[in-house]
Amino acid sequence: MPTLTIDEREVSVPAGASVLEAAEALGITVPHFCYHKALGAVGACRLCAVEIQAGPQHGLRMACLVEARDGMVVSTTAPAATGMRRAVIEYLMLNHPHDCPVCDEGGECQLQDMTVAGGHGVRRYRGKKRTFPNQELGPFVEQEMNRCIQCYRCVRTYRDYAGGHDFGVLGVRQRVAYGRFRPGRLESPYSGNLVDVCPTGVFTDKTVRFRARVWDMQCAPSVCPHCSLGCATWPWARYRELLRVSGREGPRTNGFFLCDRGRFGSGHANHPDRPRTPRLDGRELGWPEALEALRERLTKLTWAHGPGAVGLLTSGRASLESARALGLLGQALGGAPVVCEPHPRRDRAVRALVAELGQLGRDQEDVRQSDCLLLAGLDPEGEAPMLALAARQAVRRGARAAVWDPRPDRLPFPARRIARLPEALLEALARPDGRAPDGLEAAERESYAETRAALQAAERPVLLGGADLLGPRGVRLLLAAARALSRPGRACGLSLALPGPDSFGGALLCPDGPDADELLAGIEAGRVRALVCLEADPLSEHPDPARVAAALGRLELLVVLDHLPTASAARAHAVLPTTAAAEMDGAFVNHAGRLQGFARVYSAGLPIRVTGQGAHPPREFRPDTPGELPQPGWAVLAALAGEPVELGELRAELARSEPRLAGLAGLVAGGPGVQLALEPSARERPDTPAEPGVAEGELALLSVEALFGSEPLSARAAPVAGVASEDALALCPADAARLGLGEGEPARLRSALGEAVLPVRLAPGLAPGFALVQRRFGGPLEGFAPGGGPIACRIEKGGAR
Amino acid sequence: MSHPQVLFARRRPGQTVSLETYLQEGGYQALGGAVGKQAPAALRKLVLDSGLRGRGGAGFPTGQKWSFFPADAPGPKYLVCNCDEMEPGTYKDRELLVADPHALVEGMALAAYALGVTHGYVFVRYDYEDVFRALERAVAEAHGAGFLGERILGTDFGFELHVHGSAGRYILGEETSLLNGLEGVRPNPRLRPPFPAQRGLFGRPTTVQNVETLCNVPHIALHGAEWFKGLALTPGEAGTKLFGLSGHLNRTECFELPMGVPLREVVEVHGGGVRQGRRFKACLPGGASTPYLTAAHLDVPMDFGNLDRAGSRLGTAGVTVFDERTCMVAATLNLLTFFARESCGWCTPCRDGLPYVCYLLERFERGQAGREELALLKAQPAFINQSFCALAQGAMGPLEGLLRHFEQELLDHVTRGGCPFGGA
Amino acid sequence: MDAKLEQDIRAEFEPQIRACAHPQELVVHLLRAIQREHGWVPDEGVELAARLLGLQPIQVEEVATFYDKIYRRPVGRRVIHVCDSICCWSRGEQEIRAHLEARLGIRLGETTPDGVFTLLPTCCLGACGRAPAMQVGFRLYGELTPDRVDRILDEERRAAGQGDPP
Ligand SMILES: Cc1cc2nc3c(=O)[nH]c(=O)nc-3n(C[C@H](O)[C@H](O)[C@H](O)COP(=O)(O)O)c2cc1C
Ligand code: SF4
Ligand code: SF4
Ligand code: FES
Ligand code: FES
Repeated sequence: MPTLTIDEREVSVPAGASVLEAAEALGITVPHFCYHKALGAVGACRLCAVEIQAGPQHGLRMACLVEARDGMVVSTTAPAATGMRRAVIEYLMLNHPHDCPVCDEGGECQLQDMTVAGGHGVRRYRGKKRTFPNQELGPFVEQEMNRCIQCYRCVRTYRDYAGGHDFGVLGVRQRVAYGRFRPGRLESPYSGNLVDVCPTGVFTDKTVRFRARVWDMQCAPSVCPHCSLGCATWPWARYRELLRVSGREGPRTNGFFLCDRGRFGSGHANHPDRPRTPRLDGRELGWPEALEALRERLTKLTWAHGPGAVGLLTSGRASLESARALGLLGQALGGAPVVCEPHPRRDRAVRALVAELGQLGRDQEDVRQSDCLLLAGLDPEGEAPMLALAARQAVRRGARAAVWDPRPDRLPFPARRIARLPEALLEALARPDGRAPDGLEAAERESYAETRAALQAAERPVLLGGADLLGPRGVRLLLAAARALSRPGRACGLSLALPGPDSFGGALLCPDGPDADELLAGIEAGRVRALVCLEADPLSEHPDPARVAAALGRLELLVVLDHLPTASAARAHAVLPTTAAAEMDGAFVNHAGRLQGFARVYSAGLPIRVTGQGAHPPREFRPDTPGELPQPGWAVLAALAGEPVELGELRAELARSEPRLAGLAGLVAGGPGVQLALEPSARERPDTPAEPGVAEGELALLSVEALFGSEPLSARAAPVAGVASEDALALCPADAARLGLGEGEPARLRSALGEAVLPVRLAPGLAPGFALVQRRFGGPLEGFAPGGGPIACRIEKGGAR
Repeated sequence: MSHPQVLFARRRPGQTVSLETYLQEGGYQALGGAVGKQAPAALRKLVLDSGLRGRGGAGFPTGQKWSFFPADAPGPKYLVCNCDEMEPGTYKDRELLVADPHALVEGMALAAYALGVTHGYVFVRYDYEDVFRALERAVAEAHGAGFLGERILGTDFGFELHVHGSAGRYILGEETSLLNGLEGVRPNPRLRPPFPAQRGLFGRPTTVQNVETLCNVPHIALHGAEWFKGLALTPGEAGTKLFGLSGHLNRTECFELPMGVPLREVVEVHGGGVRQGRRFKACLPGGASTPYLTAAHLDVPMDFGNLDRAGSRLGTAGVTVFDERTCMVAATLNLLTFFARESCGWCTPCRDGLPYVCYLLERFERGQAGREELALLKAQPAFINQSFCALAQGAMGPLEGLLRHFEQELLDHVTRGGCPFGGA
Repeated sequence: MDAKLEQDIRAEFEPQIRACAHPQELVVHLLRAIQREHGWVPDEGVELAARLLGLQPIQVEEVATFYDKIYRRPVGRRVIHVCDSICCWSRGEQEIRAHLEARLGIRLGETTPDGVFTLLPTCCLGACGRAPAMQVGFRLYGELTPDRVDRILDEERRAAGQGDPP
């Protein structure tokens, strides 16, 4: 821990820290452009000059490149240092256009800040400026190359950090530009980070071009609702419209960056068809009337038929508090149990994890720091995009990575791959002798043995998996493998992608309620007569939509609380509008068991863009705010239960009733969150039966999530509408040939999930015997809910589509 | 005045020494005498004792550099010869290699032996097609004769040599940029540490040396360290030096002269004096990146130490002479334009600072400059010297020379409202 | 770029690439070969190099756009690089350049309408002892005078007409 003096204040920093970082620890920001905490120091901008007045080095130095040493005396304000910084700013401004008034970066531009801070107020240069043509980079990122200051952050982020391969540096000397080989959509699922890392207005968020200045917008620390990782975000809203999302520093989660789903997929909050007014039997009502009527009907049903007459269903989308409020409603109704996930297999997988995880949970930071990774049945791009980036950082630092998965590899890092379902391999790994399963080819056996040995030898091994492919049995095997690979003092961790942002929290609250199939059986048997769905859409998420449709048809009362215009909401007798995450305070428990709070960014309401029909400000004056009725799910439920509460009371109650959630009491949005103290459940571990195999002549169908359009949120976000995956059936070339199908030819797919005619895509990386589709809302694959694992399907040459 | 010829001993105008001639004139004897007979460490020690300093511009003691090299580390290691030679006023390596390419092959084989290296590259600038051909041929000949390849001269020592043709950028002469160039990635310089001796080409230990440096090695191996030191005229210096003359001289050729030869002798004797009987005004003593010397410096001995003390550098020993009619502002603008154009674009002071200096100098030439511009110009070196690599620092050589010796000329531009020499 | 060229380049490079531990090191070599055959490096040339080396086109483009003497835009059959660095400057480079421009009827950076000559400035050619100097293709010419320039242009124009390599 070297101790040094910076601007006459002493500071001790970890060995290896730079002077810039040491200053940061004192709260002194040494101006910088090319340095970035996640990208490191490269010494390109030369802005971070400081004067070293004593110690092993002397004179003007770049603070980002000099290691802090004992006894150093550093001045960030010495005339030589400020002069240098002013000169660098002047150099950078020589060619910078004077277009701040029309630049979207204005107000959050580091160059603007530095120019003002450095005192460079007057341009002395009267010469010509160099200019560049701009490239069209697709729907998300706008490029305005003339504003570039050549800090190289973009390419270091896109390529080095995120493993993108279609972006680079072009040219030389004063003509250095950044972009693609040819114009076109940026291919990386992490392209939006260009917007965050570019310190000037070269890369801005195209989806909100010219819509707002940073000071016009409301923002608050939030947590990304698009998957279970819980990445830290800043949503930004203006005039009741959620405009954009940027990355927030999340040391344990995302670090700094976000995936494009999290960044560009949030338009669901602005969806024009979103429920905004309580509706009962086709009539719009105010809250008091709606709640009163519903409470009465639910209570009556309960009196008449017992507490089992009302079914309660939530999903991983709902906040922890809302899920709890649903439980409380159940109690108020005499003990109706909560089903925490519309997809029963997903449900059981999550509950298996939550029951057995204990201290083995690993978050993104753990993954980044790991030295050996096994990805078993995980497709991060669809299930948890940022997990791939976390793994990539580990691999960049030298970690070994292996993949056991039948799906084509689209990871941004090299890994040893066994193209099979991971179950048998995990089962082997979990056995004390670890002997390879039967039926492997020689190379696979070798690869398996090598991976096992590497996991045993590693200091910080992590097993990664996806609940969707693994299912409850796979999850238990993964847990067993992690335990088998752990030894006293050195655990093998586990990082599992779950279906939703609060899947973990939901399962924590109802460890052993019924699952959705039991619920459906109850409806079918006439025992369950009413169903309350909290931000859950069984029609889209249950693997048998026909069965769900029939069951919903039998209900006397279907109540849907949601902020999305879902298929289930469309069928409901009552729709109660709730707020989206950015419109409320709340908490999620992420995939690794970290409780994180998020804050309300803005109050729900119909965007002025809609109410003003383009004109601004709207000329109609009224005392209320149009579209302001949506309420947080928990508030609606509490009112429905007849016991309205404040969020604080609800949290306090929750912290009391569930000791593992004690951290809720002091939870602050934007803080680091609380890692839950989990104990593996003492109960006997159930033996999960193997899932039915696939018969001769059938292929194993995997319906999985794509980056966009597969989960309910991004599926309803306008900016990503144009880039959602195409509906197609992927087959390995050998299977396609056997079936007489070529690239692009129509194939008829028949499975328990449904039937569809789809064009064939040849996927050389897909293991033989598998068929792969990506579920997409609004197309023939809408009903192909992900999460079912491999199921039997039949494929034949298709007729007209 | 004739001086002992070592590197140029075999040079015949218009010819390239073939393997046959090279062997006849004592070539590959040094290699034969060392490989398998002398311990590599002894050879390294010999080079250290000889006082040989790098001839590529920086003048770093070669033996000292070799002493940091992990010669005994396992795995691939590389020796790279730097024949980028793109600094204006510098053409000595071309003269040397077109005349005697085997000298480099032998020098590299010896250096490789001393350093425990098995693979080498010669990095040749795009425009040196003549050098490229001569080297390819010499490498093939040496291969055929067993001086390169596996089991050189029947010993366990093997050394493969590749010739790489570049595509034109001065920055590739900077050694880490050169390594990136060889790897086929963008040739920006690399951050140091790690130094190439630890992590160089393809992440492996690497030494980069100039052509002339390496060509000296066989002679040192044959004749010893004391002999080599004795070649210099001045104490503390060693060897001969190739001086490439250019500019306003009567004879603009490349000469091998003893280290420490006075500038006056270079100009008046070897260069045949300033053209058209004009007066000597200034010179770049060692390529475009060295501060000017003036007539007051004519008696300075041309060696590393004395030129440092005179406020300049020996650099590449490309001596460009300017006569009394030269506008030093215009000359400096030309030099700075070169550096600005050859900036790799990595760091701000170079990429954007150098064009700014050009802009300021242009204003002097056009009579648009006042005292504010002069003050601005004077302030620039302190900032630009903070560049990432030595390219922009090199560019400050002539600018600092201008400010130090020719401030009056700048003021004349201001007071006369333009170039007193009728330039621009 | 025609198919024949691709075939030739493949034939020339595939064995080298196979023998090479780090094929990316051949990128400059490959670009130069494409330029040698095609006069300049078109987009398809960048893509071909990328394909052969197992790289992304942008990785090749990053390198191609760095170097001075990889032409990413069409050039004439003879590229004249006239040195404008200090030694040539001190010996009449401006006069030579002005003469070249006048004789060819083009300015720096342009190509003659007949597609024979492209005139580009270059930094020092390492011929400072023979200043002023220029290079046409790989042929170096020193001690230039306007007369000598005229003769060189005639000679080069004739050679280009005969299809001699530059
Ligand atoms: C911009 C720049 C250009 C350089 N060009 C050359 C060059 O053309 N040839 C050369 O030998 N060294 C050149 N150098 C110096 C090299 O970086 C390196 O110091 C040298 O090759 C080491 O060899 P030496 O010790 O034998 O001189 C250059 C340095 C810089 C900063
Ligand atoms: S585009 Fe932005 S991030 Fe990239 S180098 Fe330019 S200023 Fe930096
Ligand atoms: S000084 Fe900077 S921009 Fe110039 S060549 Fe070196 S690294 Fe590149
Ligand atoms: S931040 Fe230190 S050089 Fe850019
Ligand atoms: S300056 Fe023109 S060849 Fe060197």
